[in-house]
Amino acid sequence: MRAPGRGALLLGAALLLLPVSARADAVAGEPVVVSEAGFRDPAERMVKTRLSNGLVVLTLEDHTTPVVSFQMWVKVGSRDESRYTGLAHLFEHMMFRGSVNIPPERHAQLVNSRGGRTNAYTSRDFTVYFEDVTSETLPLVIELEAERLANLDISEENLKSEREVVLEERRMRTEDQPMGRAMETLMALTFQAHPYRWPPIGWRSDVERATVAASREFFDSYYVPNNIVIAIAGDFDSEEALDRIRRTFGKLDPVEVPRNPTEEPEQDGERRATVHFDLRGPVLVAAWHAPKTGHEDGEALDVLSTILSTGRSSRLYRKLVYEQQSALAAQGGYWELNDAGVFYAVAQVRPGVRVEDVEGLFMAEIERVKESGVSEEELDKAKRQLEVMLVNSLATNHSLAARMGREVATFDRVRPLDERLAAIRAVTRADVQRVARTYLKDEKRSVVHVVPPPAPEPERPGDET
Amino acid sequence: MSGAVTASRVFPAVSGRAAAMLLVLLAAGCASLGKPAWELPPPPAQDAPVVQPGALQRAELDNGMEVVVLEDRRLPRIALGVAVRRGGGLVPPERAGLAAFTAELMKRGAGERDALALSQATDELGASLSVGGDWDSTTVTVSGLSRDRDRLLEILADVVLRPRFEAGEAGKARDQMLASLERAKDDPATLARWNLARALYEGHPYGAPSSGTAASVARLDASQARAFHRTIFVPNDAIFFAVGDLDMKSLLPAVGEAFGAWERGEVAPPGPAPPERVPEARRIVIVDRPDLAQARIALAHEGLSRTDPDRIPAALMNTVLGGGGFSSRLMETLRTEGGLTYSVGSGFGLRRYAGPFYVVTFTRVPEVRRVLDLILVDLEKMREEPPTAQELRDAKALLVGHFGLGLETSTAVVSSEVDLAVYGLPEDSLDTYRGRVRAVETADTARMARELLHPERAVIVLVGPADALLAQVEDLGPVEIIQP
Repeated sequence: MRAPGRGALLLGAALLLLPVSARADAVAGEPVVVSEAGFRDPAERMVKTRLSNGLVVLTLEDHTTPVVSFQMWVKVGSRDESRYTGLAHLFEHMMFRGSVNIPPERHAQLVNSRGGRTNAYTSRDFTVYFEDVTSETLPLVIELEAERLANLDISEENLKSEREVVLEERRMRTEDQPMGRAMETLMALTFQAHPYRWPPIGWRSDVERATVAASREFFDSYYVPNNIVIAIAGDFDSEEALDRIRRTFGKLDPVEVPRNPTEEPEQDGERRATVHFDLRGPVLVAAWHAPKTGHEDGEALDVLSTILSTGRSSRLYRKLVYEQQSALAAQGGYWELNDAGVFYAVAQVRPGVRVEDVEGLFMAEIERVKESGVSEEELDKAKRQLEVMLVNSLATNHSLAARMGREVATFDRVRPLDERLAAIRAVTRADVQRVARTYLKDEKRSVVHVVPPPAPEPERPGDET
Repeated sequence: MSGAVTASRVFPAVSGRAAAMLLVLLAAGCASLGKPAWELPPPPAQDAPVVQPGALQRAELDNGMEVVVLEDRRLPRIALGVAVRRGGGLVPPERAGLAAFTAELMKRGAGERDALALSQATDELGASLSVGGDWDSTTVTVSGLSRDRDRLLEILADVVLRPRFEAGEAGKARDQMLASLERAKDDPATLARWNLARALYEGHPYGAPSSGTAASVARLDASQARAFHRTIFVPNDAIFFAVGDLDMKSLLPAVGEAFGAWERGEVAPPGPAPPERVPEARRIVIVDRPDLAQARIALAHEGLSRTDPDRIPAALMNTVLGGGGFSSRLMETLRTEGGLTYSVGSGFGLRRYAGPFYVVTFTRVPEVRRVLDLILVDLEKMREEPPTAQELRDAKALLVGHFGLGLETSTAVVSSEVDLAVYGLPEDSLDTYRGRVRAVETADTARMARELLHPERAVIVLVGPADALLAQVEDLGPVEIIQP
């Protein structure tokens, strides 16, 4: 159902997908001259400042629209949890539950009451807090973020109430959702040792038992200036902002950050799991181990993903959805994380179709790439689609700040658009076939089926005797 | 940009007041050196213009098609589209799903290209094609690189004017819609939405899912889609829009070439109006999903139309009630204080005719009654204790601010302009919006609460295990239990 103030929403479905693109050359494989139309990567103008306590501040002034996005990228995610899974995410919620000078949820109310937007999210690698505001509200945002870092109030009462909120979130996203159950099971099957095996929202029993003491310890260990990247993009004065950040965040002391040492051992055989769920449309998911983010095979894996999944002319849509009509949706994609990556397969099976049949069709498409490779035409099309998607990250100040924050928190630099485009353009048909053969091996995959539970055995009279 | 210039653009008559506010602020700033920012009064808002002067241009073709073009050269991308002022509101319940079916078929072949050729032509440009709609409009959009403008325009014209409606594709699309309908029953939020609409508007187009029902979709075929397309796509009811790295001067001749020969047609009358008062008395519908640990909860009754003169004070009242996220009373009650849900929201479904006013949330099954009681109390309380001056001030700032954030991209601006054109609202609505919000007073929002909230007769829809839910709510009113 639609919220009020619908003006901007009317064409949402259509226009939010509006891609942007570099001025890509028609002949894929030739250099794209991004600056040809006076169009340059805005991140070229980004300034990086490192405070003496290790805090990194990225500033990018752009006064075209009256909006500024402030993002705090904390280099902590569920991979850093030790005793209680889900603590990084539960903690993210606690960051809105007040500090010495700010009552619970007042942070969000203050930003709202100045017309801004604020929220946060937690992944396996990062916890990100953001505020999208107009320039006159940026000082408030900086002081509010510094306040909760300096003076967070983690009380028993707040934790108790927020734990219930998170358990409702877990029911909504995972426990009552077939796709949520599928992904949770798949990651636990794919990773047996590395902390990526547990979901960022945590296992229920851990969320139920996480303590105030553990939350405080987590805060003291990871919410330290040398573990944080602040990214600001849009309509603001960077000198003024930096000055305010120095006066507030600058007071925090650096602390050495602990990390989990576990590495995932080589997988030596296919793994399978079945989840029973009372549903009509079964779900197929699968994953293969793939390189971590920044690896030189990343672009070839992206091209492979695109050929398999992007658009109605992609291989998986054509075969599984359009021709065979056995799935409602089917995609394969490269998911790059900081310590490891996966190449995943996901299919929403049509009600009445056997999940085994869809798996057979899906894996046959993977085999086809390994055996015969891809066509020149598919390669060119995928490159064009990737270029369009890549430059899409330049559309708003929020997406610009997110790109800056993520890249610097990961690589300590923002990879220039030209560099990324050049790497995509350099991918050959042989590369695509090679990465498929290298990573998508049958004995390296994990497969999960979510299907209805088997019908109960009819009672047979006489069994009791 | 300059705050003074933009303020005068929106409030030509109040520059004196703005100057006075600035003085107050300076005084406050001097008196409060060293105070944290959250103890200072909010700085005066600086209203930036929604559209740079001259960037938005309008024209009209001889056949009556309106043309709206917004130039924005920052990125080498464009979107082109055609919207018509008719959609699912025309479709009787026994043919529910026809609008969505027609839209899907338009993507499955047009002009010289069959379904695969059309998707191939789009994908190889890295472009995207969408055909979608709602109760009151249907929109075709193609987007891609500006250098591909002519090819994108050709695809758009084919899809709008020359969809093929092949029988084979119709069969496939119908089967896929039927399968999607069956699959959608796995999603508790969808079940809540469908049953809320049915409970309020059964027998009217608003009462059936826009994706149809198994019975209605099974009857759809290519000829019905072709006829529906012919009915709703007429140039004298259409808006052509374009945004991005382009301009009216060079685009208009190409648009004329692509759409100029499209002949005027009769504009279909809008569909029937729904009853003004729904429901007459409180009813409870339980959709039985014994497997769920968390129940979906929805309450609703009639609301407002998109063009209702009260829509802005109503939106402000609703922001305080449940539309304002963590600034809303319902979020405070249910989440911040109660720990009972992850999310709660309320709103008005604004359409040609009044759509529903609704509250939606979810909670663990044993807490459903407690949550329902708290929602009913907050609704009643909004009538007795309407928004305070402070609440209204905050709600205004939120609406005005989110309005600006929502229009950060030119694409969003154009979609808003098209929305205004669909409903025949004034062309300067975006420029006047902030002033209209600020003009609302507490007496207005109090009247909205009194006139628009009817908790005592709202329909209540619950999705979850019927046994456990029935025991909690059977004393609230008549209960209907249905299977998904």
